[in-house]
Amino acid sequence: MADTLTIRTPGIVTVQDLGRVGRSRYGLPANGAADQHSARVANVLCGNHDRAPLLEITALDFSCVSSGDTLIAVTGAPAEVTVDGVIRPQWEPIPVQAGETIKITGIHRGLRVYLAVLGSFEADYLQGSCAPDTILGFGPALRAGDELTLRTPCPPIDHPFSRIPLFRLKAPVPAFPTTWTIDVTDGPDRAEFGDTGRRLFDAPFTVTPRSNHIGLRLQGVVPRRVTKGEVLSRGVPIGAVEVPAGDELLVLHRGRGVTAGYPVLAVVTATGLSSLAQVRPGQTIHFRHRTLDQAVTTHRAQREAIDALRTRVHTAFEALRIRAPAGRDYGAPAPVGA
Amino acid sequence: MNSLLADDPIVNGPTTKGSYGNAKAKANANVTIADCGDSALVAKAVGLAAEPAWQLVHALAGALNAVQLTGVHDVVPTYDALLVEFDCAATDHDTVRRVLAHEAARLGPHPAPATPPRRFVVPVVYGGDYGPDLPEVAAQLGLTEGEIIALHSGSDLTVRCLGAPAGAPMTDGPPFPKPVPRLASPRIRVDAGSVAVAGRQAVICPMPSPGGWPLLGRTPVRVLDLHSDPITAYRPGDTFRFRPIEPQQWDDYADLSLADCTDPEVRHG
Repeated sequence: MADTLTIRTPGIVTVQDLGRVGRSRYGLPANGAADQHSARVANVLCGNHDRAPLLEITALDFSCVSSGDTLIAVTGAPAEVTVDGVIRPQWEPIPVQAGETIKITGIHRGLRVYLAVLGSFEADYLQGSCAPDTILGFGPALRAGDELTLRTPCPPIDHPFSRIPLFRLKAPVPAFPTTWTIDVTDGPDRAEFGDTGRRLFDAPFTVTPRSNHIGLRLQGVVPRRVTKGEVLSRGVPIGAVEVPAGDELLVLHRGRGVTAGYPVLAVVTATGLSSLAQVRPGQTIHFRHRTLDQAVTTHRAQREAIDALRTRVHTAFEALRIRAPAGRDYGAPAPVGA
Repeated sequence: MNSLLADDPIVNGPTTKGSYGNAKAKANANVTIADCGDSALVAKAVGLAAEPAWQLVHALAGALNAVQLTGVHDVVPTYDALLVEFDCAATDHDTVRRVLAHEAARLGPHPAPATPPRRFVVPVVYGGDYGPDLPEVAAQLGLTEGEIIALHSGSDLTVRCLGAPAGAPMTDGPPFPKPVPRLASPRIRVDAGSVAVAGRQAVICPMPSPGGWPLLGRTPVRVLDLHSDPITAYRPGDTFRFRPIEPQQWDDYADLSLADCTDPEVRHG
């Protein structure tokens, strides 16, 4: 019988992957791990495919038990990670023995923690992804006692006489500040805001509690549209910064409806979106203007760092004779038209 | 990088598939392409009436689909705009822009639809708990409830795009004398299958969700097939014809999906 990971303290935990890519044309939002960078790194540290299912733990304490020996990696928001009471590092692979309890507590800086398991676990799929979609009613939060079936058996890899960390893989760890700087580029409708568009950069904004994976609502001195006229519904990108009405900015995140009828003032960069997923309600954001070239360069550097990490993990696993997960083919994002 | 396509008349440069360097197509002056963040472009139809603008962006979406450009993972055509989403670590704005420009030039200002439209006949129970805003809409438009139903079910309504939430078919509105105002206070929850109107538009709500559009009725058929690929049976360009049914007929249709409601007999267009 396959080994399982049993949820003991669920807090708020969901099964995620990188999202439902390639379905926007049918009106389905991407969803998936809100902090894509941390989710990718967690899987890479376990030798998994980037798109393998993993756990997204939001804000609250979490614990689980593995029925077999395995290897896990915990990334995302800083937290206290223990395995049977012993503190273990984030952003490195962690050996776990059968029956040991994995606890993740004290998520105060940042919001979302990612837990990947060597070889990943079985998950239900809908429209090419295991990511929850609240509109479709797919992918409920996990509860105490829920069992995830591990896909790959793993031999014991911990040194029996010590708890010295086995790995020093130097994963790319982002900053988790108390005041966040979020990069944006100009949106396609920047001109509709005239001089008021500069307000986005003049003063900080505060994230309100009415924020989630669909979008973040921010309070501050908001820009105003200076043009009139109806905006026809059209596709809006993840990261779109809109000013719907009132005194709030809306920043669309991965669960956003694919069409909307508000002008797009700015667009949060791909790397900025991962950071934004870690901003807690009540925290402050400073937007920073980037050119398109700067944004693309930063994103590519982040992805190249993950590619380099993947190579180091492969080398380390070979040296330790850890069998690379016989992964299923999660596939690249489906090309358009496929 | 915000250049209009008109400034870039000769499309050149290699791409991952096919050769775009050899075709000296004349630029399509009715399409502009703008950056939309580091992972998207938006192409817009300009200088055209609503109908040809809509046809152009949907034809352009189809053409880009056919190219299967590496790194491009989605296209969202709506009324006069086409959002193209891509992974900027796998491709770049210039490449996607060039291919879009090339396809736009090839299509010209008045491309023919790629696929023949289909017609869906959709049963609807009007009024009562099924369509609680029917009396209000009738009052606002100065018509009787019967006249509203007759207009809503009296002509084929074209699906213009699939939008939020979850693949909702956005259609033209029925020929009402004036636009329908949105609800002053949006509902927290609208049932799946609810048939709603607002402005000059109409929609079937595919899944339970919040909504601010007045509800005229509700269809018993399932709008989405969650495990089909694609999830929607309908495409932009298809038409819906609503057919009034009585509440006691609800169960006759309750096991059907919208995919079962195509009408193969009728040609139109």
